[in-house]
Amino acid sequence: MSANLLSVEKLAIRFTTPFGIVDAVRDVSFTLERGEILGLVGESGSGKTITCRSILGLLPKNALPPAGRIYFSGVNILDLAEVELSQIRGEKMSMIFQTPTTFLDPLARVGEQIAESLRYHLKYNHAQGRSYSIELLRSVQIVEPERRVSAYPHELSGGMKQRVMIAAALACRPEILIADEPTTALDVTVQAGILELLRQIREERGLSIILVSHDLGVVAEICDRVVVMKDGCVVEEGTTRDILINPQAPYTQKLISSHPSIDLNVSTQVQEDSRGSTSADILKVENLSVTFKATEGVLQHLFGRGGAAIRAVEGVNLNLKQGETLGIVGESGSGKSTIARTLVSLVPPTSGRVIYKGKPLEEMTRQEFMAYRRAVQMVFQDPISSLNPRMTVNQTLAEPLLKHRICPAEEVDERVDRLMRSVELPAELRIRKPHEISGGQCQRVAIARALTVNPEILIADEITSSMDVTIQAQILELLEKLRDEMGLSIIMISHDLGVIQKLCQNIAVMHNGRVVEYGTAEQVIKLPGDPYTRQLIAAVPHMPVKASL
Amino acid sequence: MADQLTTGKAPAIAKVVATRRGRLPFLTILGAGIVLAWALVAIFAPFLSPYDPIATDFNAILQPMSRAHPLGTDSLGHDMLAQIIYGTRVDLSMGLIGVAAPFVIGIIIGIIGGYFGGLLDTLLMRLLDIALAFPFIVLVLAIVAILGPGLKNYYIALAIVAWVPYARLVRAETLVLRNLEFVEAARVLGYDSFYIIVRHVLPNAITPAAVFLMTDIVLTILLGSGLSFYGLGAQPPTPEWGRLIAQGQTYISQAWWISVFPGIAIVLMALGFTLLGDGLAKQLKVRQ
Amino acid sequence: MKKINLILQRFWQIIPVLLGISIITFLLAHSIPGDPVRLILGPRAPQDVIDAVRQQYGLDEPVLTQYFIYLRNLVRGDWGQSIAFKTPVLELVLLRFTPTLYLLIGGLVFSIIPTLVLSILGSANPDGWLDQTIRVFYTVGLGLPSYWLALVLVLIFAIRSGWLPATGFGNNIKEHISHMILPWATVSMVMTPILTRNLRATLMEKQDADFVIAGLSKGLPRYYIFWRHILPNSVLPSLHLLGVIVLYILGSSIVIEPIFAIPGLGQLYIRSVIGRDYYVIQAMTLVFSLITVTATLAVDVLTLIIDPRIK
Repeated sequence: MSANLLSVEKLAIRFTTPFGIVDAVRDVSFTLERGEILGLVGESGSGKTITCRSILGLLPKNALPPAGRIYFSGVNILDLAEVELSQIRGEKMSMIFQTPTTFLDPLARVGEQIAESLRYHLKYNHAQGRSYSIELLRSVQIVEPERRVSAYPHELSGGMKQRVMIAAALACRPEILIADEPTTALDVTVQAGILELLRQIREERGLSIILVSHDLGVVAEICDRVVVMKDGCVVEEGTTRDILINPQAPYTQKLISSHPSIDLNVSTQVQEDSRGSTSADILKVENLSVTFKATEGVLQHLFGRGGAAIRAVEGVNLNLKQGETLGIVGESGSGKSTIARTLVSLVPPTSGRVIYKGKPLEEMTRQEFMAYRRAVQMVFQDPISSLNPRMTVNQTLAEPLLKHRICPAEEVDERVDRLMRSVELPAELRIRKPHEISGGQCQRVAIARALTVNPEILIADEITSSMDVTIQAQILELLEKLRDEMGLSIIMISHDLGVIQKLCQNIAVMHNGRVVEYGTAEQVIKLPGDPYTRQLIAAVPHMPVKASL
Repeated sequence: MADQLTTGKAPAIAKVVATRRGRLPFLTILGAGIVLAWALVAIFAPFLSPYDPIATDFNAILQPMSRAHPLGTDSLGHDMLAQIIYGTRVDLSMGLIGVAAPFVIGIIIGIIGGYFGGLLDTLLMRLLDIALAFPFIVLVLAIVAILGPGLKNYYIALAIVAWVPYARLVRAETLVLRNLEFVEAARVLGYDSFYIIVRHVLPNAITPAAVFLMTDIVLTILLGSGLSFYGLGAQPPTPEWGRLIAQGQTYISQAWWISVFPGIAIVLMALGFTLLGDGLAKQLKVRQ
Repeated sequence: MKKINLILQRFWQIIPVLLGISIITFLLAHSIPGDPVRLILGPRAPQDVIDAVRQQYGLDEPVLTQYFIYLRNLVRGDWGQSIAFKTPVLELVLLRFTPTLYLLIGGLVFSIIPTLVLSILGSANPDGWLDQTIRVFYTVGLGLPSYWLALVLVLIFAIRSGWLPATGFGNNIKEHISHMILPWATVSMVMTPILTRNLRATLMEKQDADFVIAGLSKGLPRYYIFWRHILPNSVLPSLHLLGVIVLYILGSSIVIEPIFAIPGLGQLYIRSVIGRDYYVIQAMTLVFSLITVTATLAVDVLTLIIDPRIK
């Protein structure tokens, strides 16, 4: 028993909400051994975050007293009073969170936020606090810590802020670190660095870590053991290797199979009928640049704010053939979403052209342009905000049919029915509003809406990025089915190479507004030419290869 | 995550989520009850009032509270209770009429400026800045000085200057909404701007304006009664509460009830609208 | 953007506002019906005097020229003549500046302090009996008409009990203060509800902020987190309220000063509106807006300086 640092036994937590009592955690038990990295995996609603918060006694006000036990150093944490808890927090156990931007006080210097627990717990004075903070910053690999220690959070990048959080959490040398989705909000390359840092810290200090994540890849990368959670219960647990290679529970299997991992070895898993040289370009992007200025015009400069120009997109060339699925991959700030918006004419190009079926957009007549508008449709990232919250599903789908007179009024009902069936939505959802259906269902409605005008090209801008992995798999499957049935050409935008690889024949990699790599999926993934691409691929967490396939 | 710019503030539409469920809090119901009560008083004034408010009785001037005159009489023998009851009509309608034009004007201007941006919006912003440089009462009084006293001119003055806070709120909301994906989707689907504004932006941008409306009704009543207090608003013999308070000023030491009771009426009516407004704000803020 | 640049930009940005203010105040006087010159000089003034005055103010010139003459006169200190007092307006304004200044400063102090106390007390124990009482207080208080409140206070504290003077401003500082106590109380009771509601809401919002949870996870006690993290994060976004308070107090002065017979700018304004004293109205509108703009600018710059997020 002495190897068990922490022991959670039959934990159950309920909340009072305006809609009644909710069971967030039903029956969770697991142990954490000294020096191990334990992964807590689950999708939204699994209860993993609540479980972590309860370990530190940080439950929200509307939580009822939890049932079960959480043993640490022979004491049941759930029995402790607030005063005793604050002794444990910081000194014995601490936590880092998902979004360092909001979890750091924007008005306090970084060094201060590290030193305050030193001063409170260890009674350091000001000078000691400052110098030790600098050491801590150095240990989390922040360069020039002497300078950074007086910086404010907004002056640091996302990755650096997370390192600051880690430094603050480790200041009083706790035995356990709970990391709640620490890399979810970070780019993949930055994520790799943070995970590596955590691994190092475990080596150097013998720290035990509970890593919470929805991403199996992250867990696979550094965890020794894994606990899989669903709907407030533990579904399965075991060593990482065991779980990933030989999952027993059906949910675990589903989770693994839904995970869009990159297959570095297998060559094109998608149909070959796309890259035929006889197909014409349906869409062509020629030397496109898009620059954003904060203000425009002299008058506005006098009255408003002057700002630096942002070069979102620079000199991009792409082409899309009929029936092809093109993937655009990049991290945040790469310009991929800007390109998408330019293609649907939401954002005007600063220079360069977009050419549709041989005709440049700026040379089109009004009618041709309207036809173009209908031919290119887009599905957006956030399913909830891509639907008007005051319109029912039926209204949302009927609107384009009526506005564009695609079919006579009598047929609208039937059309909506057909559309809903094609995106696999049950008919009774028609009268519901967006907040009454799930995120995945909202996204299906958004896809259906895009299809109402019979487009030729569909642009999918990070359509699954804010979804659970199992839902994501379903949506991607749906997209594939629709593509094959309707002969759509698709431009798929994502930061996730695994997602892109699943559907796309060709891939363009973007970095800082430029296309740094462009070729077939096989070329880009197996033989990347550009160093950034290589870095990107290397950064993606690897899953162990399945024994069976 | 995606290279999408977010303002960090969730738009008011996100807060419309799940508003119909959940019971209304007691205070909101209380507020609605108070307003309703006043409305009934206004409608049924002739039945409720014991006397004709403009009927004088020189045998009963400056009488304190008694059975015959529950709230006393003033210097001309008018019964205070009657005047207050009839005054309800004036003040209630003042609050409701006064906010109508500014509400509509402000929303229209705010949406157009917020949605189209550009020079139009910049000019609008400067206009708003200029309007906000004056204490509100100063502008209203200045306009009343030009047009002359009277409630009608008060409403005109309000229409000229009171739309500004609505425009500001709605413009801010529109700026956020304009970048939301369902509005972008509407543009991608090729709808014209006018339709998008009316069908998609307007219903969602109106929310903060609707919340402010309640507060504005209170402010309008307070200001209007203040104007009447100085003889610039409701003119005699209209039994407006502010005017009644003014009449009692000379007799404050002998017959305090003339000034005090109408003021209490104002406070109570304002309370109703404030509670209602707070409840509305809370309802619209319920998240899941 | 560098902070200095941002601050300078604020100064830049008030120029169009000032311009707008001057235009509006000019248009105001221009729209008042009647011939101002006749009213000032009286019905028996000889024609040549009338003509001379008309020329001095350029009243027969096209509107645009009149505007520039107006501006020129403004800068020169010639703000026209008061019909009622028969004295130059600028003189009147300067004379009456001090009492309103007292009202403004006292009003600020006696609004800010109770607001801070009540908001902090209320949010320290949300929904506790103290918090609920405070909420009742400010919910009711939002509906208090300032002029009525003034009368009630005078009734209770001056007339009935004789503790404080009812009217006037007094002749020395001690008397000024004793005469201002009731006016300050009035302003305080009108302003504090609004401000408290606002600040308390911000404090409550920040109580649930993520960085609070982060602080708790480090084992820091709640009171420390409140003073060191929640309070600064609530005060900073509330600073702009200071500008709003000034706006409100100036507005209230118009209503309150006459009741207390305080010879300030507010009393001057209401009298001039009732009496349609055009040049006074024009000048007062200008003065009020200038004070407001200055206060708002000062608050803006202060916020810029304090906020570390802006570099």
